Amino acid sequence: MRRFELVTPGSVDDCLSALKGRGVEVKVLAGGTDLIAQLKVGMLKVAAVVDLSGVAELRVLEGDARRGFRIGAAVTARTLERDAKLRAALPSLSESGALVGSIQIRNLATLGGNICNAAPSADMAPPLLALDAEAVIAGAGGRRRVPMASFFKGVRQTVLGPDELLVEFAVPATGPKSGGAYLRHTPRRELDIAVVGVASQVSLADGVCTKVRIALAAVAPVPVRATAAEQALEGQPLTSQAIARAADLAVEAARPISDQRGSAEFRRHLVRILTRRTLTIALERATA
Amino acid sequence: MSTVMKTTRDVKGVGLSIPRPDGPEKVTGKVQYVADIQPKGLLHAQLLRSPHAHARIKRIDTSRAKELAGVRAVLTAADMPYLKKKAPTRAHAVLAIDRVVFAGQPVAAVAADELAIAEEALDLIDVEYEVLAAAVDPLESMKPGAPPVAEAGTEADTSEAQAHGSVSGVAAVAKPAKAVNISQQTTLARGDVAKGLAESDVVIEKTYRVPMVHQGYLEPHAVLAQWDTTGQLTLWASTQGSFNTRSEVADVLEIAENRIKVIPVECGGGFGGKIRALCEPVTAELARVTGRPVRYVMTRREELVAGMPAPQVIIKLKTGVQRDGTLMALDGEIIIESGAFSGAVLAVGAVFLASLYKWPAFEVRGFEVLTHKPSIAAYRAPVAPHTIYAIDSHMDQIADAIGQDPVAFRLRHVEREGEPMANNQPWASNAAYEVLERLAQHPSWKKRDEWKKSAPAGRLRGTGLSLGGWLGGLQPTSATVRLNPDGSLSVLTGQVDIAGTNIALAQIAATAYGVDIDRVKITTGDTDVAPMTGLSAGSKTVYTVGTAVLQAAQDARRQTLEIAAKELEAAVQDLEIEDGKVVVRGVPDKGVTIASIGKKGNLYMSKVPPVLGVANPAFTQQAPAFAGQLARIELDPDTGEVTLHEFVVAQDVGKAINPLACEGQMQGGAVQSLGIALTEGLMYDDKGRLMNPSLLDYRKLTAADLPNIECIIVEKPSPAGPFGARGVGEPPIVPAPAAIANAIEDAAGVRLTELPMTPERIALAIAAR
Amino acid sequence: MAKQVLSFTVNGEPVEALVQPYVTLLDALREDLGLTGPKEGCGTGDCGACSVHLDGKLVASCLVLAMQARGRSVTTIEGLARGGALTPVQDAFVRHGVPQCGFCIPGVLMAAAALLAENAEPSEDDIRYAIAGNLCRCTGYTKMVEAISEAAGTARNRGSARGA
Repeated sequence: MRRFELVTPGSVDDCLSALKGRGVEVKVLAGGTDLIAQLKVGMLKVAAVVDLSGVAELRVLEGDARRGFRIGAAVTARTLERDAKLRAALPSLSESGALVGSIQIRNLATLGGNICNAAPSADMAPPLLALDAEAVIAGAGGRRRVPMASFFKGVRQTVLGPDELLVEFAVPATGPKSGGAYLRHTPRRELDIAVVGVASQVSLADGVCTKVRIALAAVAPVPVRATAAEQALEGQPLTSQAIARAADLAVEAARPISDQRGSAEFRRHLVRILTRRTLTIALERATA
Repeated sequence: MSTVMKTTRDVKGVGLSIPRPDGPEKVTGKVQYVADIQPKGLLHAQLLRSPHAHARIKRIDTSRAKELAGVRAVLTAADMPYLKKKAPTRAHAVLAIDRVVFAGQPVAAVAADELAIAEEALDLIDVEYEVLAAAVDPLESMKPGAPPVAEAGTEADTSEAQAHGSVSGVAAVAKPAKAVNISQQTTLARGDVAKGLAESDVVIEKTYRVPMVHQGYLEPHAVLAQWDTTGQLTLWASTQGSFNTRSEVADVLEIAENRIKVIPVECGGGFGGKIRALCEPVTAELARVTGRPVRYVMTRREELVAGMPAPQVIIKLKTGVQRDGTLMALDGEIIIESGAFSGAVLAVGAVFLASLYKWPAFEVRGFEVLTHKPSIAAYRAPVAPHTIYAIDSHMDQIADAIGQDPVAFRLRHVEREGEPMANNQPWASNAAYEVLERLAQHPSWKKRDEWKKSAPAGRLRGTGLSLGGWLGGLQPTSATVRLNPDGSLSVLTGQVDIAGTNIALAQIAATAYGVDIDRVKITTGDTDVAPMTGLSAGSKTVYTVGTAVLQAAQDARRQTLEIAAKELEAAVQDLEIEDGKVVVRGVPDKGVTIASIGKKGNLYMSKVPPVLGVANPAFTQQAPAFAGQLARIELDPDTGEVTLHEFVVAQDVGKAINPLACEGQMQGGAVQSLGIALTEGLMYDDKGRLMNPSLLDYRKLTAADLPNIECIIVEKPSPAGPFGARGVGEPPIVPAPAAIANAIEDAAGVRLTELPMTPERIALAIAAR
Repeated sequence: MAKQVLSFTVNGEPVEALVQPYVTLLDALREDLGLTGPKEGCGTGDCGACSVHLDGKLVASCLVLAMQARGRSVTTIEGLARGGALTPVQDAFVRHGVPQCGFCIPGVLMAAAALLAENAEPSEDDIRYAIAGNLCRCTGYTKMVEAISEAAGTARNRGSARGA
């Protein structure tokens, strides 16, 4: 790793001061599982790194299914995986945390880091999209909230300005009779990266689907929603035929590339399979 | 690397499952590898590597790098006048002279006070390249007109084949002059293939592909170099053979071998990838110009980009049989992609393809092809997994096509001892038949129909097996066994112990001399003190070094008995060693302790010579060893994900000197074989650049992907090995690709002919069914 | 660039070291504190050879900056066996003949210790997932799983899985 300075702020305001005016030569360090790896292989070169480990506020985790959740940017994947309340209320997000890397990675990797790294394959992005979450961003002018649907701008690009810091996520209440799931395909069971990831969240009333969100990872430059598939389901009973039709429609939202992790053809195939499976699990959970 | 054996068991040695004695050192993190050694004044090395697969170097400017504070040396080929353009091996191509021939080839080297400074210095070296067309695909590279890889006139390198116990009687074929990248060519033939195929009822033709794979040792290449003021070089190396490393470094640096001391530090895995020198010469050169100790440790990315992986192998196979199962003819072509430097074990692949089963007529054409990729090295039974994947996938398809039981079909045709291999050398004693027979008795094979029918909804289940093996390597070697004044024994070899071979060697010494294992200490010496010892490779440590230790222990025993005979006034043939004493057979109270004999060997004014057993055998007789593997799988036809429910290895080890260590080899080799089968492969883009240079995208199997590996040890003694032992290391990496392919076909009715058999390939094959 | 003072607890002992801000915890442990048990197998968190416990949690120390450990507690393989005696899982590794080349072993043992500290009765699957972040190329994992399973039983019989 090439040399850099290290700044260790104790508060969000200190972070903002450290970032101010330095542009891309400064990077924020949360779990480090992406940033340090990228610095090591020379993909990134920086003058300074701002370490967030001393900022307690970023580890906030509070809420419940009725009120919604505040989840700090520095909450680890391992916490998402194991926190009992999150597992019960937001199973798709919990599942995405449980799938990242390995235990030694999940104890470091953070929700905010996974999102700010803005890889097309980011596992935690589809659940946040499917949950209609908002990113809370601190900057010189105070705080702003950005819906996840407009957070990503491109491969490794987000709406975050160079002087801004992602602080937490606001996840709205899912309501009763709502269920979600996240599945991804990887050749290995652990220590791998999504070839395709799909999160689904469904809400039911009187036997019909009142709201559904389907979000896809690793099939476009940014994590995307499959809106045509969502619209086809809303107001309908979630029969296996309806789910199969939605899965076909979800494929149309995918604009995958072929790379070392999978061909475009296989990725489209997986979108169909995983959409069907996550909708089925989400439905089971909503009715449970 | 010396260890004292301890056991509480009531025994001598051979046949016991004794844990290796350095276990406590390893589980407490105390064992030192090269990167753990930190002498005073240490400098850190880094290499600037070419981003292009093929390019002319027009200009290199190191001046800015040299000015960076903390940089102690910056080298290019211009600083090393002994480097030659027609480098026969990677080791000789220390730094590129005027042309780079693979992406990742070293172009410049830096030594600095800190690793971070060395890395920054790389950024300050300016290289101007003229990018040239690259030969990336071996089938294209074989054709006339392909961009040339080697300089015209470079000799093919066959030393790897020799190290691995090559086969005799395979004639090299003159290569076509215009196909500049075909570096070796052979043909093996017998009988009339065209007639055989014409008279066959069933002809099956398939092309099998196996990509380059990395040996995957957990410890990257590492070396520490230091010169003293008299011009002696010491190298602390992670190597599979310290004497081989010494020879290669001496040859490259053009200095005498006895001016180099190679200390074989604990080796964190090699599997064939640490046989040949790689970064030792450049590290030595940096140490020479700086006058300081210099350490170079490759990063994992460098290992994957610019290590020495196993070759890509493409096998075109066409076979004909009669409907009653009579074998008629085999026509094969084996293309081995060696990357930028020659060095494939071409003949072994060709021989295996046509020697395992009794083909009355065959022709196998072998080609070694150069491309603009990193040059290759051995990986545990080089080319055997590839060859067996082809032939044993084929055998299953033939049996299926004619409606015969796949095991009975193989057993009917498998070659037996004395029958001619494809090169007309008779098969040595081996247990291919017995191993397969034993595996077929396994309940999971007998109940394969029940397993298939038991698949839950939406899943498929299948069972497959395969038989593969290795001919067995040979290399001259030597060992000494000393009797100490307290009656303990000291065994000395230069053998690098990676897999736990030292405990097996000590067990052999204990049994051969006649003492308990806890009286034996074995040391791996450096090249200054150890007797010449061969590589830890080719499944030959126990077979060859074990023989040397056996003979040296017998020699020491003979000397001991001769000294005792004089003292006891008895004939040597009437003496025995029991409980630390030499006794006259039948007269238990007439004896002399071996400690007293040892003591007199180091007593002032004593006339009794010290007991020093010496052996330095060379070998001619190989001991082939076979393994059969059985896989019971379940697969998800939608995603192509395979779940391994059971995996069984049955293997002939000749005699299990240490069954625990044998199992470790069988299990580890099986999982490497499964990695080749299921997930591993170096992937290159059309410019010859590696697309998956990390362990996230180069997928070795994890514990969560695997079941427990069941071991069945078969013992058919080899005629010449110590106590009948055969090599154990290599056979288990061979069969899994064919076993898994056969299981997938059983489950899903699709035949995969390209490795790795990823979920994507499986799912898309099923979708296209 | 000035070195910074790193105060933390290593294997139960308070330690102060001067480290560069850009060095990893792994490098600081190995190069500055002489604790070479944790290994670098990949440097990018994909092999587990560098695994240590940071405030009791299993982490890849190659991805943590040394200064991020300020005020925290680190346990390495050197701190697993206190007072010279091997822990049950270390002892089981020796008896089962687990180590071959040995390079992955310190990391695997740290993962096993983290598992046994929170799950006294792990199933085979629990064990396999607990060490899935640790690549081993020699053993095929079978003997590791057997050894960890046996050690869990041993520790249970002593009434505690702590420090197993």
